[in-house]
Amino acid sequence: MTDVTAASTETQPPAPWPDDASLAAASHGGPMIELRGVSKEFLGDRSSTTTTHALDNISLTVNEHEFITVIGPSGCGKTTLLRIVAGLIPYDSGQVLVKGKPVTGPGPDRAVVFQSFALLPWATVLENVAFGLETRGIPRAEREEQARVLIKTVGLAGFESRLPRHLSGGMQQRVGLARALAVNPDILLMDEPFGAIDEQTRRIMQEELLRIWGYRRKTVLFVTHSMEEAVLLADRVILMSPRPGRVHEIIDVPLPRPRGRETERTREFTDIKELLWDKLRVMQTV
Amino acid sequence: MLVAFLTFWEVAARLAHNIGIATFSDTMVAAWDLMFGNGRIWEAMLNSNAALVLGFAISAVTAVPLGLAAGRSRILDRALSPYTAILLAIPVAPLVPIAITAFGLSLAARVSIVILFAVIFIYVNTRAGVRSVDRRLVEMAHAFGASERTIWTKVVIPSAVPAMFAGLRIGLGRALTGMVAVELLLVATGVGKLLLEYRDRLQPAYVFATVLFVIAEALLLLELARFIERKVAPWND
Repeated sequence: MTDVTAASTETQPPAPWPDDASLAAASHGGPMIELRGVSKEFLGDRSSTTTTHALDNISLTVNEHEFITVIGPSGCGKTTLLRIVAGLIPYDSGQVLVKGKPVTGPGPDRAVVFQSFALLPWATVLENVAFGLETRGIPRAEREEQARVLIKTVGLAGFESRLPRHLSGGMQQRVGLARALAVNPDILLMDEPFGAIDEQTRRIMQEELLRIWGYRRKTVLFVTHSMEEAVLLADRVILMSPRPGRVHEIIDVPLPRPRGRETERTREFTDIKELLWDKLRVMQTV
Repeated sequence: MLVAFLTFWEVAARLAHNIGIATFSDTMVAAWDLMFGNGRIWEAMLNSNAALVLGFAISAVTAVPLGLAAGRSRILDRALSPYTAILLAIPVAPLVPIAITAFGLSLAARVSIVILFAVIFIYVNTRAGVRSVDRRLVEMAHAFGASERTIWTKVVIPSAVPAMFAGLRIGLGRALTGMVAVELLLVATGVGKLLLEYRDRLQPAYVFATVLFVIAEALLLLELARFIERKVAPWND
C-alpha cells in the first residue's frame, strides 16, 4: 500500500487563498450552527435503569467559514455532539439550529466524514464518491463528472475504478472526504476522521485538509482527540469535560493562515497546545 | 493425491474379492457404457434433475426474499421463527412418506422433498447476511440522505450477497441429497431407480459409476454457483 501524496500534490492547482474581502462578500455572516442548551441521555440496557448523561446543557455557535475542533477526554460526548448536529440521533432537550432551522434529521446542507471511513466495499472509488449525489437522484453522467473533479481535488486521480480494500487507510479517507465534498455541503462534520490512520499519513492528511479547506472554505466541525490536530486546524477549539459532557472552555487560535508544518514550530502554537494540555490534564482520569 | 486414491481404490477392490465392491477400472467401463453404450444415465439424470431444478428454483425464489425481509423486520422474523426452527431441527427423511401420501408418486412429491431439504438453509443464511450488515454503512447512507429504498438496494442487499450465496451453495448440496434420497426411498425414478436396479442385478460397477455421475454433477453445480457469485460479488474473494 502506498499513499499518493507525493504525486498528487504536484498535480494539484495551487490553492488560491481567498482574501477576507471576497469571503465576506460571499458570506451571509450569520451563524451556521447554533446549539442552545442541548442535552442528551442514553438509556442503559432494558434490564438496568441507569442512564448515561452524555451531553448537558451545551450551548455553542459556529459561524460560517469557521473551522471548529472539538476535543475532550474520552466519554465527553464529542462524537455524540457531532452526530446530533448531523441529525443522525435525536436530542432530549434544547435546540439545534442549522442555518437558523431546527435539525430534525440529516440534510443536504451537512455532510459527514466518518472515523471508520464507511466506504461501500463493493463500490469503486468513483461510485463511493458519487454516493451522496446518487441518493439525491442526480443522473449518472452528471454525478460521475462531479465525482471525478473531487477525486482529483483529494489527489486520487487514476484510482477511480479501484475498490476501497485496494487502498491504504489514508487513501480511503481521501475518498470519504471527497464523498462529503461532492455534495457541496455548507457544513463538513468530521468525526475523528484521521483517528484510524497512522501518524505519518495523518500529518499529510491534515495538510491536505487545510489545503482543500483553503479554497473550499466550508464551515467545519471537527472532532479529534489529538491536541496538535485540534490547534493546527482550528479557528477555535471547543474543550469539553466528561460525564456529563459540557463545554468546558472555548479557546481561540489566532494563528495566521495558511498554516502548515512551520506553524507547529512557532512559539504561539506550542503555547496554545500547552495551555490545552494543562486544562485537559486536570480532567484526565486514568 | 487423486492418482494415489484411484490406485488405492483399484488395488483394494481387487484384493477384497467382494462381489459388492467394483474396481476403478470396472467402474470406468460401466461409466462409458452408461454414457455411450446403453446411454441410460442421460435419461435418468434428466428425470432426476427435473425435481432438482424445480425444487431448488422454488426454494431460492421463496427463501431469498423471505430471508431478506426477516433480516430487516423484527415482526416477520418473530412470526417465522417457530417454522424455521422446526425446519432446522427435524431430520427431513421422515417427511418423505408424508409428501408421498400428499402428492402420490409424482414429480410434485419429489419437488416438495427437494424444497424441504434446501429451503431452510437458503433462508437462514440470507437472513444472517442481512443481519450482519455494517451498521456504520447504514448510518453513512442515512447521513447522505438515502431513502429506505436506497439503503436496501445500495447497502443492505449488497452486504447480504456473500452470505446469501453461501446459503444457495449449501441449499444446492442439500437439494441434491433430497433428490437422490426420495428416489431411493420411495419414488423409484431417475438416478435412484438406476442405483436400485443395478444393485438388484448385482452390477456394482454400474452402481459406482452412477454415484460418480451424481458427484460430478454436484461438483459442477457448486462450481457454477461459485462462478456466478464471483460475477455478482467480485469484491468478496
